[in-house]
Amino acid sequence: MLVASFFIWWYGRGWKQVALSIKPRLSSVAYTFSVTQLLRTLFAPWRRIITYPGSSLGERLKAWGDNIVSRTIGFLVRLIVLGAALVAITTVSLLSVIELILWPLLPPAIPLLIILGIV
Amino acid sequence: MQPDTQTSPSTQLINLKTRRAGEARVGKFLNKTAYNGLLIVGVAALLAGVAVIVLEHSLHGYLLIALSLICYVPAVWWHRRLKPLPADGTDLNSRLSADVLALLKPGTANQMSGVWSALGDHWQARFFLNHLLLTRPMVAEHLNTDPAALGQALQTATRLADANHSPLIEPGFVIAGMMLASPGVSQLLTQFKARPADTEAIANWLARGLAEEARRDQQKFGGIGRDWAFGYTPLLNRFGQNFSLGIAKYGAHFDWLANSEGVKAIEAAFENRAGAIALVGPDGIGKTSTIYALAQKLIEGKTGQRLAYHQVVALNATDITSTARGPGELEHIMLSLASEASHAGHVILFFDDAQLLLGGGPGSFDATQILLSVIKAASVPIILAFTPNDYQRLRTKNQSLANLMTPVILQELPEAGVMRVLEDTAIGLENHHQILVSYEAMREAYRLSGRYDQDAAYPGKAIKLLGQAVPYSIHSVVTAESVQKAIEQTRGVKASSAAPAEADALLNLEDNIHRRMINQSHAVSVVASALRRARAGVTNPNRPIGSFLFLGPTGVGKTELAKSVAATYFGSEKAMVRLDMSEYQQPDDVQRLLSTGAEASQTNSLLMSVRNQPFTVVLLDEIEKAHSNILNLLLQLLDEGQLTDSAGKVASFKDCVIIATSNAGATEIRDRVGRGESLESFAPQFTDQLIQSGQFKPELLNRFDEMVLFRPLTPEELGQVVQLMVGSVNKTLANQNITVELTPAAIAKIVEKGNDPRLGARPMRRTLQKAVEDTVAQKILRGQAQAGSHIRLDAPDLAI
Repeated sequence: MLVASFFIWWYGRGWKQVALSIKPRLSSVAYTFSVTQLLRTLFAPWRRIITYPGSSLGERLKAWGDNIVSRTIGFLVRLIVLGAALVAITTVSLLSVIELILWPLLPPAIPLLIILGIV
Repeated sequence: MQPDTQTSPSTQLINLKTRRAGEARVGKFLNKTAYNGLLIVGVAALLAGVAVIVLEHSLHGYLLIALSLICYVPAVWWHRRLKPLPADGTDLNSRLSADVLALLKPGTANQMSGVWSALGDHWQARFFLNHLLLTRPMVAEHLNTDPAALGQALQTATRLADANHSPLIEPGFVIAGMMLASPGVSQLLTQFKARPADTEAIANWLARGLAEEARRDQQKFGGIGRDWAFGYTPLLNRFGQNFSLGIAKYGAHFDWLANSEGVKAIEAAFENRAGAIALVGPDGIGKTSTIYALAQKLIEGKTGQRLAYHQVVALNATDITSTARGPGELEHIMLSLASEASHAGHVILFFDDAQLLLGGGPGSFDATQILLSVIKAASVPIILAFTPNDYQRLRTKNQSLANLMTPVILQELPEAGVMRVLEDTAIGLENHHQILVSYEAMREAYRLSGRYDQDAAYPGKAIKLLGQAVPYSIHSVVTAESVQKAIEQTRGVKASSAAPAEADALLNLEDNIHRRMINQSHAVSVVASALRRARAGVTNPNRPIGSFLFLGPTGVGKTELAKSVAATYFGSEKAMVRLDMSEYQQPDDVQRLLSTGAEASQTNSLLMSVRNQPFTVVLLDEIEKAHSNILNLLLQLLDEGQLTDSAGKVASFKDCVIIATSNAGATEIRDRVGRGESLESFAPQFTDQLIQSGQFKPELLNRFDEMVLFRPLTPEELGQVVQLMVGSVNKTLANQNITVELTPAAIAKIVEKGNDPRLGARPMRRTLQKAVEDTVAQKILRGQAQAGSHIRLDAPDLAI
């Protein structure tokens, strides 16, 4: 009965569980890298380091330049992290798909591998 | 499949022959250690297998990979299925948790004793036993032996799981079900001063703990880039306490408050672009906890887009003041903090005890103008916490500032909510002090703090009292007695059951009182009975301990009985607030009685006297002379056991004995007693006369627990009064080692000279003073009496 329980679960709820766990796993990776936050604020100044424009043209130009630098730094840092997030999400996706495909093959693989090893 | 035992049609019993039960047993066998071992061996075998195939080109490597899978596959099965063993359906056997199914032995699951013996050592069972102060054998002995009772217990367990939204029926629910289905256990709980309902409360507590633990693992705080769009806050980090980052670092358990009305109101106000919020509530109501709950909700991003990942920074006015070297620097710091918070873009400033910022109280400074400008600019969201009094003061003194704030008024939690907070507090105390807090201790903390701490609000006052009870734990267990001792020490009240010596004193109260006053047996007996009822806890706790109207002529012992009550019940004659009601004859005199603050000491405020000395006799002399407004006030006092001052603050009279005296009808009493009538025979008629003559309103007389008639003293009784007075003279002379004795003739002479039918025993003191004290003084001065002398005075010796 125990062996039956195992196989019923492995090819039933277990497999379904593996499939259903892919989405939350990817969400978790995206959350860890704050993907939504970073996309929403992609062009925002880095840590709000901004210069408030003065009244003269020179001061305004300087503030504009400073703020462009801050936004560029913010953009680059976020882009790098988003890139890392993309790599992580891709890796997790691939591993999850491989797990999903290999899952039904694992139990029968055991006797097959033993036969291969002995022969 | 057949169940483990016979089932009645209406109930389900545990079936240990199901596939799920088998999985639970395997799951228990393959525990966490085995899982880790399988994973390690599996990974090692996989690596070795690959190495052998690649490096040695040997097919034996496949054997190692097979070994790796032999380890990996069951490990995954355990981790994803056997360990959590989720519910497979809605019936009992599909919902019993893995622990229940694994611990039960076939053949024993059909009776309570078998189930108890299997689950009794589970940590959830110990959770019940420890908090109810019971032991395993005690419960085992009192379990219901009726075979049908187990079905009932399992139904209760299912109900408890449903009530707590738990898909699984945990061991704790089964334990609670068995205890609730056993009348013997209910009796046992009653013996231990617990209630059967406590079992259900503990089951709910346990379920909440399990759910919170599960949620804690899933807590997320925004990821690595959460704060990159917000500014740095070095100054706020220096002066403030960042609640949000603290929660993200150490975790928090404010989920239960996150959806409270207070948090929702603050969120809604900020979403509607309110600049500042006045969070109003009395001390102890949970203003700071509400802000922590808000901080948790924000840092988890569980709010609207506008507030997501905002951080709450609490600023302490005292810290800022102590850092600044002068008013100029103080202003600079305050403005810099506001500017930094505004620039950062994700900070909500929180000022606890905000009145300290507005120039109220010691250690305060006046930052009203700074706050006014910051709030007007609406550049940074601010929450200021006030007590209701402080908020009222702000509205009176600085309406423009108050109008800029959106008030959020916190309401006191109901009892169930307070108990939930106390449960969390108990867990904290248990972990911190390595003690055990019994459930009855928590209930007692709720009850006694409600009764004796009128100044603070729930749940704060109950939490405080439970904490104060820790030093009084016995064998590291905080019990109801520990809580009673704590309140007795901190408040000077009598909260615990009477100790044998005290019980003896209460039972002999009449004798003790009669040592001080002569006769009036009926009056003494009525008062003594009321005090015994109060001390035994059988009176209405929401009214004064006792309320009496003493009626009778002057000098018959009314005031003396009030003093005796103060001395015998409250331990000192000084435990008495005495008001001459003839001084309260004007309508405005009500204000004098209820005055608080500076004027209270000048006006002889009843309210303040009782606040300062809550365990006292309140003696209202000549009550009939008071203005009707004051008598109306007395109605409220006698009914509700409390009075309210102009600021809405309540003063409790629930620990007072209220005694009102009156000479109304004194002549009638004297005449009737003179004619030989007994007090009991004419008391009802006498009361009617008092009402008909308009001296007392019936509603007032009805509010008193007892109307006690005092009769005039006979010459024999006055003689006994003289002897009591001589006793008091002897006490005074004791330090000179001189004693005085009066012969019967001398006593008779003093009674004759000192007795005035209109004034009772009152002139006796003067007569005795003149007759005895003067004579003794002369003897001492003439050297006729030295240390060790015994002076016996006869009638001719007396100088009267």
